[in-house]
Amino acid sequence: MKGQASASWRGSAVKFRIPTAENLVPIRLDIEVDGHRFKDAFTWNPSDPDSEIVVFAKRTVKDLKLPPVFITHIASSIQSQLAEFRSFEGQEMYAGEKIVPIKLDLRVKHTLIRDQFLWDMNNFESDPEEFAKTFCKDLGIEDPEVAPAIAFAIREQLYEIAIQSVASARESRISKKGRRGVDHTPASKAGSTAVDLVKLFGHRSSVVRKRKEWDIYEPIVDVLSNEEVDALEAREERNAR
Amino acid sequence: MATTKPTLVQDPSSEPPATPQPPPASAPVPSPVTLSAAKPDTPIAVAASDVREIARPALPPTAANLRPSEPSPTSDAVVAHVPSYARWFSFDDIHQCEVRFLPEFFDSRSHWKNPGIYKYYRNSIVNRYRADASRKISFTDARKTLVGDVGSIRRVFDFLEGWGLINYSPPALNKPLKWEDKESKTGSGASHGGGESGGASSKEVKTKRLCNHCKSACSIACFVCDKNGMTLCARCYVRGNYQIGDVTSSDFRRVEINDDSKADWQERDTQHLLEALMHYGDDWRKVARHVGRTEKECVSHFVKLPFGEEFSCFVDSENVNGSYDVGMDHGSVESCETSLTKRMRLTPLADASNPIMAQAAFLSALAGVGVAEAAARAAVTALSEAEYGSVGESTGSHLQKGRQKEAVVASNGNTHSNTAEGAWEDAKLQLVWEEQDVERAISGIVEVQMKEVKDKIDRFEALDLHMEKEWQQLEQMKNMLFVDQLTLLFHKNPAQKTGERLENSLQSARWGEAGPSSLVVKTPKKIPS
Repeated sequence: MKGQASASWRGSAVKFRIPTAENLVPIRLDIEVDGHRFKDAFTWNPSDPDSEIVVFAKRTVKDLKLPPVFITHIASSIQSQLAEFRSFEGQEMYAGEKIVPIKLDLRVKHTLIRDQFLWDMNNFESDPEEFAKTFCKDLGIEDPEVAPAIAFAIREQLYEIAIQSVASARESRISKKGRRGVDHTPASKAGSTAVDLVKLFGHRSSVVRKRKEWDIYEPIVDVLSNEEVDALEAREERNAR
Repeated sequence: MATTKPTLVQDPSSEPPATPQPPPASAPVPSPVTLSAAKPDTPIAVAASDVREIARPALPPTAANLRPSEPSPTSDAVVAHVPSYARWFSFDDIHQCEVRFLPEFFDSRSHWKNPGIYKYYRNSIVNRYRADASRKISFTDARKTLVGDVGSIRRVFDFLEGWGLINYSPPALNKPLKWEDKESKTGSGASHGGGESGGASSKEVKTKRLCNHCKSACSIACFVCDKNGMTLCARCYVRGNYQIGDVTSSDFRRVEINDDSKADWQERDTQHLLEALMHYGDDWRKVARHVGRTEKECVSHFVKLPFGEEFSCFVDSENVNGSYDVGMDHGSVESCETSLTKRMRLTPLADASNPIMAQAAFLSALAGVGVAEAAARAAVTALSEAEYGSVGESTGSHLQKGRQKEAVVASNGNTHSNTAEGAWEDAKLQLVWEEQDVERAISGIVEVQMKEVKDKIDRFEALDLHMEKEWQQLEQMKNMLFVDQLTLLFHKNPAQKTGERLENSLQSARWGEAGPSSLVVKTPKKIPS
């Protein structure tokens, strides 16, 4: 499961893992039973024993005073997501030069966060938790629930991209059987989300971001009032249905 | 203030830090009112009464350290309570027990799980709790606000809760009422809060005993026959007034009434105890009946016995005993020591039949040997001070009957709670005795040597006298010889010649012998005759 140190040359295949220092799985729960809706998102350590799942489910239900029906639902949901993660584990993932944009667009209680930044998929030492903590500290976010949400969002996206790269690696392996050369451009295969490095860091451009892109990459933090929160929630529910 | 009541409740709730899995978030008394009102929750009296309950199972090693708790002042408005056994906690440091309980953060298996992260979790959880101490913080609240994987957060949370650093409420006063109800049910006239099972049984013993035969109250001592359940007062017993004929006097067991149970444990009491243990093993009720004292006293005395005595007679405990019999074969003391201590460390854990020892051993393993020893010592001193004033001396007198090996064995770092202290005292006494013996021996030797010298001097003096006498005798003989020579010369020659010769010989005698001039004068008179 541990990825090797990333090779800098294209075409290297690496065992699947979330490209962060700590291999944690983002788990999202969205359970609806008898009109009770329970939504949650957190990070799970896949090396924890499975007994943890039930313990956690029971704890959560007890703390939030949910009907006990939720215990089994929560546990099974967590388990299925973990199983899915584990199914990817043995496979290879394509890891080339890949810098992806990560977008944050989330609302945690009264705080609204919108941001976009670039993330290096090859950096297996990256730490979304640290990023989230620093983010909140720098922007003076007081609500402590924001940081985990940010970390979770980042992880989720990284996970998605990793899954995509596994799929693409599989495709390229299949298609490789026909060709002999390995140097098909990764940009077209690894998904369109990857930023074209040549364009960005080529000798003709500079590292400094262009002015028109400033707005996109600027973090926006809004603290909403209660009415706005209610309005947003109502809108979300309408969208969900 | 009702001191003893809260303590009993404290016992069960003080167990959680000892169990391997942190217990689920338990809220013994959900009453915010008592939290802010009651300030000290475990007064000093706890130490004594908790220590008294050594006979009860599940004695946490931290019980000996129970002292008044300190409120941790984070804000002036609300006082957050922390139990006294968690007083090691500080925001800046990581304590040894944290490392032991949550090794995942400290074994550098993953660079992400490091002590810094642990501190971050711990401090944020505690701060969050203390920000609103009247409300119990739930795990979900905590984990929603912490960045990281929920498994680790849960473990830290459980650890903190188990140690009372969060969600801790001092035992409220309404809990002891339940205990009082239980006591009144058992029917013993226990004074407030004394609801120990050992205490209850001892109080049963103290109820009045009526003699079956003469129907009078037994005052000093009574004799109980277990066969028929008869109780006879001393007088009836002596007279032989047994109601049922086939009961012999040996079937009766003497039971003291005079609250004598706090007296010294005599040799025969100890023997009874050991016999009973051999027969009944762990069944303390039967043992207590056999010895004639309460269970509690039996257990506490047994535990205080010198180490070797205990285990040389303790046949029943399978795990423990095989090794001890070997050890006590009076082979080398060193092998005895090491085998005992080694087995001591292993078998209590394996010996599930003895819950007291299993718990104590496990807890001491958790808390560390030094802590457990200190706790045990403190427990023993408190016990002996509180109840048995003279037991220390009596155990000393036991040992003066020459149990040297046991003392050495016992004092060799065993974690058996009470024998360490008692045996240590015994060893000291033995040392003093030995020193005295040695001194006495030395003085004896010195005396003997002096006598020898004196004798020699006397002999030499006698020899000297003897020599003097002999010399004088010799002198006399010399003179006599000379006289004889002279007479011979006189008889041989005629008068003139003899006269001349006599003169000559006289002269020569005068020159030769300066001494006997009187002899020379005498001889002329003798010649004519």
